[in-house]
Amino acid sequence: MGRKSFHGGVHPIEHKELTRNAAFETYLPRGEMVYPLGQHIGRPASPVVSKGDHVAAGQLIAEASAFVSANIVSSCSGTVKAVERRRTVAGVYAESVVIENDGLYETVPGLGTKVDHRHLSQEEILAKIKDAGIIGMGGAGFPTHVKLMPKDPSAIRYIIANGAECEPYITCDDQLMRDCAGEILTGMEVVLSLFPGAEGVVIIEQNKPEAIAAMKKAAEGRNIRIMAVRTKYPQGGERSCISLVTGASYGITQLPADVGCIVDNIGTIYAIYKAVCETTPLMERGVTITGEAVKRPCNLITRIGVNCGELLEAAGGYKDGVQAVKILAGGPMMGIAFDNLNVPLQKNNNALTFLARDEVEEAERKQTACIRCGRCVRVCPQGLTPQLMSDAFAKKDFDRYENKLHGLECISCGSCTFICPAKRPLTQEFKVAKAEIMAAKRAAKEKEAAKA
Amino acid sequence: MSSYLNVSSGPHTRSRLSTGNVMRDVCISLVPAAAVGVWHFGVRALIIIIASIATAVLTELVFDLITKRGATYKDGSAVVTGLLLALCLSPCVPIYIPILGSLFAILFVKCFFGGLGKNFMNPALAGRCFLLISFSSTMTNYQYTDAVSSATPLVSLLDGKTVNLTTMFLGSGDATGVIGCSIGALLIGGLYLLLIDAITWEIPVSALVVFSLFIGLFGGHGFDPMYILANLLGGGIVMGAFFMATDPVTSPVTSVGQLIYGAAVGVLAGVFRVFATAADSVSYAIIIANLLTPLLDTYVVPLPYGLRKNANAGKAGSSSALTPKMFMPAVRLTVITLLAGLGLAGVFNLTKNTIEAQKEAKKRASYLEVLPEAVDVKASDELTAAVEALAGGVYGTDFGKAYINDAIIGVDESGNEVGYVVNASSGDGFDGKISLSVGVNKDGAVQAIAFTELNETAGMGMRCDEPEFKDQFAGKAVESFVLNKAGGSTEDFEIDSVSGASISSGAVVNAVNAALDFLHKNS
Repeated sequence: MGRKSFHGGVHPIEHKELTRNAAFETYLPRGEMVYPLGQHIGRPASPVVSKGDHVAAGQLIAEASAFVSANIVSSCSGTVKAVERRRTVAGVYAESVVIENDGLYETVPGLGTKVDHRHLSQEEILAKIKDAGIIGMGGAGFPTHVKLMPKDPSAIRYIIANGAECEPYITCDDQLMRDCAGEILTGMEVVLSLFPGAEGVVIIEQNKPEAIAAMKKAAEGRNIRIMAVRTKYPQGGERSCISLVTGASYGITQLPADVGCIVDNIGTIYAIYKAVCETTPLMERGVTITGEAVKRPCNLITRIGVNCGELLEAAGGYKDGVQAVKILAGGPMMGIAFDNLNVPLQKNNNALTFLARDEVEEAERKQTACIRCGRCVRVCPQGLTPQLMSDAFAKKDFDRYENKLHGLECISCGSCTFICPAKRPLTQEFKVAKAEIMAAKRAAKEKEAAKA
Repeated sequence: MSSYLNVSSGPHTRSRLSTGNVMRDVCISLVPAAAVGVWHFGVRALIIIIASIATAVLTELVFDLITKRGATYKDGSAVVTGLLLALCLSPCVPIYIPILGSLFAILFVKCFFGGLGKNFMNPALAGRCFLLISFSSTMTNYQYTDAVSSATPLVSLLDGKTVNLTTMFLGSGDATGVIGCSIGALLIGGLYLLLIDAITWEIPVSALVVFSLFIGLFGGHGFDPMYILANLLGGGIVMGAFFMATDPVTSPVTSVGQLIYGAAVGVLAGVFRVFATAADSVSYAIIIANLLTPLLDTYVVPLPYGLRKNANAGKAGSSSALTPKMFMPAVRLTVITLLAGLGLAGVFNLTKNTIEAQKEAKKRASYLEVLPEAVDVKASDELTAAVEALAGGVYGTDFGKAYINDAIIGVDESGNEVGYVVNASSGDGFDGKISLSVGVNKDGAVQAIAFTELNETAGMGMRCDEPEFKDQFAGKAVESFVLNKAGGSTEDFEIDSVSGASISSGAVVNAVNAALDFLHKNS
């Protein structure tokens, strides 16, 4: 069972050497903390505190407002300054809880109490995960407790912990696996206890030998498989992981659970361990502060809600005489570019990357007409035909895009744009195409609903 | 932290690949073939290559300037076109050939269709085909030194002669052909392109395999490995499969599309080679297959992995590249290609017969024309045997390169023999062969001559066909004629030359003399 690798894929320069051996440092923020209510997929949480309230670290400040939604807890102690719109890394102003950090980090009572998960029922485990406000920490931010409640739990055959970390620059999952291999695997056991029929698999790219060794050592005596896989982007994509472990593929109309899999990021599994076994809700995370423009690239364990500008300072600021030309939340393949550091770190931000070279601008200058070389088709991990999709997009032929070329299957991994010799903005076009098609579908649905 | 940051949509990094270095790689891959060509054929090969590339780049540059569309000449694609075109030209072509070819390729086939990436057929090949049509004899002249036979290995092969595979492979020794004729050097280049992932294996493999199968099935020699190998080494199928058919702009982007397209190239090249006139089957096969590309890219689209049948079965490697949904279009396209190829071959065969019949009728008419007393012609065993005894070789020693093609007896209404007609040729014309029929009556007097083949220079050699010149032969009973270049002849045996065309006139006189000599000896 399983493949050596998925189809397609590319090999971006890793740049991981900047922080490969930078051990975690704990950084406790000093400034104001901001918690956007909609930092997960689903309905934004509803605030349960108001201006002037005193909160402790670990205290619930906003609760899940729907089935697909997540709690938010304070990661510091202090006073609620406001519940107002604040800028986020996505570049929008979103309703957020703002807390004046008193720097004392007083915690709620009972925080840190050790619990043996084997004495807990499945419902208790799920409740703890939900209460802790855990969401997918790899980037997507899907509420974890929802993911762990599939329609048919008995159909789940694999729990996959995704430690591939295929994005260039980022090393925080690598560090986490080196430092906390045992805790992560215990977290895996917690999840596996929800799915007795499932096998646990951890996927790690071969460029992380220390993490593989640490995880393999910690896995001795446990029923969890550590899979070292080829270093290739997007190895850490959900579909890549599943294809690797089971050989199965699935389309956009399906979920991983439909092919018997649940995939969680290493950071998420660790957060589950902390929530269930150490009674600690999601307050902190590992984050890589990196890029050629940063004076002291590093891996930090820091509090969610911290100001990104403060994190840059914690990393020594910019190198002398260097100014970042591009700032990313995440890595250069799928990260979000933003232009204002006065935004908070969210639960799903695994890195801040400060690039000194603007390859996008360079590419725009080198752009030529498409030479139809077909490299985009060969690297697409979904087996799509980006060249033809781009052509359909240019002609605004969304019918062909969606129905003949199946362009909605695109996962926006960026491999086609990366490889394109003519420097065509393929992925970017597909993001627009997908958005337009989805908007048209919604409009049609609403029209239908209005009629009925 | 300000707005001058370039907030882009991901990915924010790019590979080092660029259109320029893709083109550079193709040029690098062609260096061995070009080098062997220059080494083998000498400096004129180099001049042709330089002229071709320079014209291509210059044409693109001028078009850029006129249309103000930005400097696309820098992307290197014009260099590739120029180089490819030069490598599939004979080293003997005059300098205007690569220049015209490159100009046509870049201007008409590429720029006029929207430039890079928009041309619907391979510019270099379209340029070559344009030259083949416009300058057929110049383009197929491979006689680069007097010492070497002018037939390319493929022409010899189709004539049923054996060829030396080693010289074909190396492009050395007495190898003749285009500048890029060294198969070994081409294979090194092709392999390089495959290794650096600049081309895919699908097109060359499918083209070469299907072509070999076709030659094996229809080539008339069965699966004789030496015959198939000789066919693979000659006639540009290797150059075509690795460098021309793989031109990304004019080939499909999907793997299955490429396999079908490669097969189309193989079938068409086979059809043209086996059923039509040899030498340039590959060029035409590829540019016709190019026309299939938009169709293939419209209908042969693979299903993404997530939507394939059995994708959820959890079976590793279950995702086959060819799904049922695209199987039928693939089959249909293959059948269409096959039918189109066979159709073309059929048209050729049909027209071939018509052309032969027309030639026969013309010959008979010309026979009667030169022997006015006759109403019909009949073969004579004696004369036919004498013609056959010559076995198509040069006739006699006093007539230059003269040939006797045919000799018959003319009869009147009552069936009495009234004279003879001899069809003779001379290879000493100014531009190719001159063939003519000479009518001689029973008394040995020339009645008239008529040309059956005359391709001399218009206004000069072609004036041999005017009565002023032709009628000089009529009514004269001499043993042989003599050409009088100065004009003003008085004697019966003297023939005034067409002014300014003494070579053509001399060839005519030689052919007539050969005919008279032949009759003298055989009747």
